Amino acid sequence: MSGLLEVDNLKVTIGGQDVVRDSSFAVDAGDTLGIVGESGSGKSMTALAVMGLLPRGARASGSVRFDGQELLGRTDRQLRALRGDAVSMIFQDPLSSLNPYYTVGLQIEETYLAHRGGKRAVARRLAVDALAEVGIPEPQERRRHFPHQFSGGQRQRIMIAMALICGPKLLIADEPTTALDVTVQAQVLKLLARLQAETGTGLLFISHDLAVISQIAHRVVVMRDGEQVEYATTEEAFCAPKHPYTRALLEAIPRIDEVS
Amino acid sequence: MATTTGPGLREAPVKPGAGPATGTRRRVLRALRRDRGAMLSATFLLLVIGMAIAAPLITTLTGSGPDTLDPNAINPNLGGAPLGGLGGISLAHPFGVEPDTGRDLLARIAYGARVSFLIALSATVLTTTLGVVFGMLAGFFHGWVDQVISRLMDFLWAFPSLIFMIAILSALPQGNRPLLLVIVLSLFGWPYLGRVIRGQTLGLTEREFVQAARVSGAKTRDLIFREILPNLRNTVIVIATLSVPGYVGTEAALSFLGVGVVPPTPSWGQMISGSLEWYQVDPMYFVVPGGFLFLTVLSLTVFGDRLRRALDAGEVG
Amino acid sequence: MPRYIAGRLLGLVCILLAICFFTFAIFFWLSPDPALAVCGKTCTPLRISEIRQALGLGQPFVTQFWDYVRGIFAGRDYGSGADLVHCSAPCLGYSFQSSQNVWQMITQRLPVTVTVAAGAAVLWLLIGIIAGVISGVREGTWWDRAAMFVTLGGASIPSYVLALVLQFVLVVKLQWLPFPGNVGFLPDPGLWFESYLMPWIVLALGYACLYARLTRSNVIDTMSENFMRTARAKGLPPGLILRRHALRPALTPVVTIFGMDFAGLLGGALIVETVFGLNGLGQLTEQAIASNDQPVIMGVTLLAAAFTVIGNLVVDILYTYLDPRVRITAS
Repeated sequence: MSGLLEVDNLKVTIGGQDVVRDSSFAVDAGDTLGIVGESGSGKSMTALAVMGLLPRGARASGSVRFDGQELLGRTDRQLRALRGDAVSMIFQDPLSSLNPYYTVGLQIEETYLAHRGGKRAVARRLAVDALAEVGIPEPQERRRHFPHQFSGGQRQRIMIAMALICGPKLLIADEPTTALDVTVQAQVLKLLARLQAETGTGLLFISHDLAVISQIAHRVVVMRDGEQVEYATTEEAFCAPKHPYTRALLEAIPRIDEVS
Repeated sequence: MATTTGPGLREAPVKPGAGPATGTRRRVLRALRRDRGAMLSATFLLLVIGMAIAAPLITTLTGSGPDTLDPNAINPNLGGAPLGGLGGISLAHPFGVEPDTGRDLLARIAYGARVSFLIALSATVLTTTLGVVFGMLAGFFHGWVDQVISRLMDFLWAFPSLIFMIAILSALPQGNRPLLLVIVLSLFGWPYLGRVIRGQTLGLTEREFVQAARVSGAKTRDLIFREILPNLRNTVIVIATLSVPGYVGTEAALSFLGVGVVPPTPSWGQMISGSLEWYQVDPMYFVVPGGFLFLTVLSLTVFGDRLRRALDAGEVG
Repeated sequence: MPRYIAGRLLGLVCILLAICFFTFAIFFWLSPDPALAVCGKTCTPLRISEIRQALGLGQPFVTQFWDYVRGIFAGRDYGSGADLVHCSAPCLGYSFQSSQNVWQMITQRLPVTVTVAAGAAVLWLLIGIIAGVISGVREGTWWDRAAMFVTLGGASIPSYVLALVLQFVLVVKLQWLPFPGNVGFLPDPGLWFESYLMPWIVLALGYACLYARLTRSNVIDTMSENFMRTARAKGLPPGLILRRHALRPALTPVVTIFGMDFAGLLGGALIVETVFGLNGLGQLTEQAIASNDQPVIMGVTLLAAAFTVIGNLVVDILYTYLDPRVRITAS
């Protein structure tokens, strides 16, 4: 049985430097894979490599198979058909990730129109439904509002709505909760979990926050300096970590019953 | 020259410093030395400035001052056109002569360079001082100080500056012309820098390191000199450097129109104006000052642009 | 919003009054006796005092200023009896040297200047923005580097130098264009176009180069924004990404700059008109300055200032429509 996303021996090089070295993992439909590591560990680069959105001058080698099809080496035009449709991505800072000059409604609709075509009115209705799905109140009214008129948590929900409008099989989330308050964080995580359960979408969740990963991921990849040091189920990784680095990360989490 | 504020000033102003100023002088100099454009323009500028400073020396060497008439160099039968090709270039007159009077162009260019640079540099110094002082006062103290200064800047900025300068200068009596020019140029020039500095000061006073210093009881004077001013340094350097070509151009334009530097003091703008009636017969009389003016403004702009790039590169990451 | 506009209009009037006051004061204190300028060649002390009477030059400064301002709105009379001259509103002054109402003189010359300015503006906006966008999108390529090289040079040429070079090459040597003259649009639009082409190029070149550089810089900044990454991640076609997501943020600041520049065009037009001998407002100003015709200088200065301030206001209002973040919301 082939997984939804299969990554084998992925290597990403930028300007002579290896930012991702020999990474291998898989995500199944309905599953959540968490990639955890410090800044600069290569986790975001991995995600960008899957989407084909690496910065200019970056090279990726190895194998990235989505739904059985090899993605590395495809032209941008071929990948464009997949992006936003079969594979979607959301980013860390929702305010700067949305275009301040256009309404949120338009930004959601344009994704649908670009991939499915058809009438504006249809796209509009779907956008309103999507906004309602992610919990934005009064979606008919608010779809005409601009990004700066929403709160941080709401903006991230809008990003999620935008990412899910075409019903993707895989959603990649790059530090989606890092810029949010803890309480809002929990809401967004709950939303993601619910949507995943309802649609059976695979989720690739990237974060530096072990606590968040432990809540949402079934399996975990730990990265350090581009190297994949651990790949196991969340339980195994957190209770019986094989790599000393993972152990060190776990120990670094401050616990409420520790006094020192 | 499109505007009185100069060609390079329009682009995004340099970002203010991100904290305690770091020693960047060596790095910037190194970057400039590697840049071909910067080196070429710097070379040309040094040449011209050298000419300006050494003007009396040049006169002594060639034997012709800027006002020395040389009737032997012109052809009275051709209405006063210079003898010989290319506007009368010869050993005695390396750049040729002025038609009708036979005055040495090299000397006139050198003395004209003096005047142009003197005026442009003085205006830049004055403008920078006014702009920084008022901009910082407005941005730092907010309140009515800011209101008054901002209204003043709006008022001066709204003036149709070129027209007004022409009008004032033509109305004023003959006096120390260069001084008058400096005053008039600076009067309408400082609001631009003032606005930019005000904006950046406003931003800086909100930043953490300034708040931290304030909270730990630092005196206002220390705040200004130790926290804010160093971080404005790059912006000030870039805008000051890029103001110079603007002033050179504006002074030349005013002299061209007859209201700037007036005879007997030579000026490139003046010379170009005089060359209008001769350019079919003696195009060199136009090419020499026109070329110098263009290359000087160009070199100043290129150098300022490279300098800005070098400074910007430092503040990022 | 209406309250904001009202406030700005009030500020506008204040600034214009202040400029009027300042200009008036400068001429009052600095310039030689305007009566002398009016008097001309056949001057006797009697004639001078008559003129001083007619112009109200004996009055205190404030009275003179007040008369002037009032004249702008209500019209004004100069002199008395047989010498009475009526100047109807808006009375920006009366030029005794030309025996004409200043406002009339201005409106006569306005079409030429508007032609020069508007044509140049269209030219520089088109060329500058298009070149800037292409440069920005193709950052680092030979086109980009060549364009930046050229624009630096183009922005450094003094307009009168360019004017003379172009005239020498295009008119005298190559004879491709006629000498610029005062040609109306009818009956020969082709000739009209050819006559104005060089003034347009001369006025537009510097600005076009500046705008190309500015637009390029904005486009490059915009391309590196996070929302561009999002647009790509959504699989939008590149053309749409450029047109919709990149151009709005990149070009909106250019609008503000254009507002400032359009208002300041009179100064540039002055030089161009002088060099090419076009009888527009610029040449009028130049002549007035040469003959110290104060009422005209005053009138033109005021008009140009009004243009500047109104232009800024229009641009600011326009900006609130273009940038949603700035919009003055009722919430």
